[in-house]
Amino acid sequence: MINHNISLEYELNSGWLNPWVEALHQGSALAWQCSACDSASFAPERTCRCGQNSGRWHPLSGIAVLESRTDGADGSFALVRFIGSDTSVVVALEGIDLGQTHGQLMPYKFSDGGVPRMVIGPLEGVS
Amino acid sequence: MVTITGAALTDYNRRKDGSSFRDWVHDAFQDALKMSTLDRSDIDLLVVSSESDFFTLQLNPSAVLASDLGLVGTATIRAEGGGASGQIAVHAAVNAIRAGQARHVAVVGYDPSASNLSSEKIKELYGFSFDAWTDGMTGASSTVLYALSAQQFMAEHSLTDRHLAAVTIANRKNAFANLKAHLGLLHTEQEIDASPMIANPYRRLHCSPLSDGAAALIISESSAVPSYRATAPWIKGIGGASDHVRLGARQIKGQFSAKTIAMARACSDADLTPKDIGLVELYDAYAGAHLQGLAALGLSENIAKDIAENTFGANGRIPVNLSGGLMGQGAPAGAIGVGQTAGCALFLEGRHWSTLQPQSPPPYALADTHGGLCTTAAITILARRDAP
Repeated sequence: MINHNISLEYELNSGWLNPWVEALHQGSALAWQCSACDSASFAPERTCRCGQNSGRWHPLSGIAVLESRTDGADGSFALVRFIGSDTSVVVALEGIDLGQTHGQLMPYKFSDGGVPRMVIGPLEGVS
Repeated sequence: MVTITGAALTDYNRRKDGSSFRDWVHDAFQDALKMSTLDRSDIDLLVVSSESDFFTLQLNPSAVLASDLGLVGTATIRAEGGGASGQIAVHAAVNAIRAGQARHVAVVGYDPSASNLSSEKIKELYGFSFDAWTDGMTGASSTVLYALSAQQFMAEHSLTDRHLAAVTIANRKNAFANLKAHLGLLHTEQEIDASPMIANPYRRLHCSPLSDGAAALIISESSAVPSYRATAPWIKGIGGASDHVRLGARQIKGQFSAKTIAMARACSDADLTPKDIGLVELYDAYAGAHLQGLAALGLSENIAKDIAENTFGANGRIPVNLSGGLMGQGAPAGAIGVGQTAGCALFLEGRHWSTLQPQSPPPYALADTHGGLCTTAAITILARRDAP
């Protein structure tokens, strides 16, 4: 038996996604809007379905509509579509009860390992 | 033309005997080489398949394995495409032969997915098989992403957890007859229903296990096949494709579109249609993925009806996963595609375990593999030597 115990502390540069990542830290949602067809993607698609790879960052409200959700030992997650986006994204759910259809992006949560987690919680002002 | 002159698999399970992936690769390669009747000096190229260096703590494994296998001097490459790595390695071998760059290629696939790291660490690493910066950073596991896709597929095809139970029972029952399988079990619906919910609709028993193991192939240019291997099967066609890495970016989220495209390409390459396929080793990482795969490959127009009629059972019209598949035989990631192709070759030549072997092998068999959430698809169609 050969035992190894390696701890790796990554510092991942987020590159062109940096504005998106920085906004998530603040609890804000930025979509990438294609300069050719105006299609907005969240999470951002660098090359649009139309083939164009130039665009601009476009702020969204941060309110998401749940399309489907799964719950169990691995946690609660959902496919959601942020209002103003033409694509969906998988997010973690926190405090969103079964039957609730909308949620609000929360500032980045961090796992025990320090990994940022994209989470939506209840809409502000809605119990 | 391309021929499979040698095929071998080790046990798939959780090793408790102190052996390492290098031992398993050595054993599988030796068995495949012996079957081929070739000498190791005949091998022009070694293609190595392993999903992740994180599992082995061995970077540049091709050079290490070339030394272990007595292939120093041979050209080596390493293929990687998540769970599809093994089938991509097969395709690399076929392409090298078709291009005239090699006459005999050894393909080895392996991964210690069970014994080297804790299951929690493996699960965390698998979470980065998807887009590590978006889906991966939500903390979503592989099971979560597959579950969200399966939900949509099941709704579109009017499928229920009874259908998930049916394929779970069938795969594990087939594995029960496979002496090298990880989970040969005779489940009941009640056992499945009582297993913990991981991410609905998936319960623990709907999931494939983490396994250790290796598989090997010797793939040859057909004019160079030794005379002793006159019944060796052909590789008739190969096809690959990819899909949006993020589930949310896909237009139809329950559909394995890359598999459909890869299948069309493999059929075109083989000059066949899905109706010609008589035996399938299918990538069933989860029970729902099994059903999604059948639809994507064009093997079923009505999944519920075909499951009810046992179309894909061991004695059905198109036996699927006679080995037990990933759910039953096991899932050592880098070995999966190599092992599926090896299994199909053994079935077509009538050399598989007597407990698994169909009495009359069909003319054509299909090995179906994918990586991620069917983000990377790779398909190989094999033909019996005397197939039309």
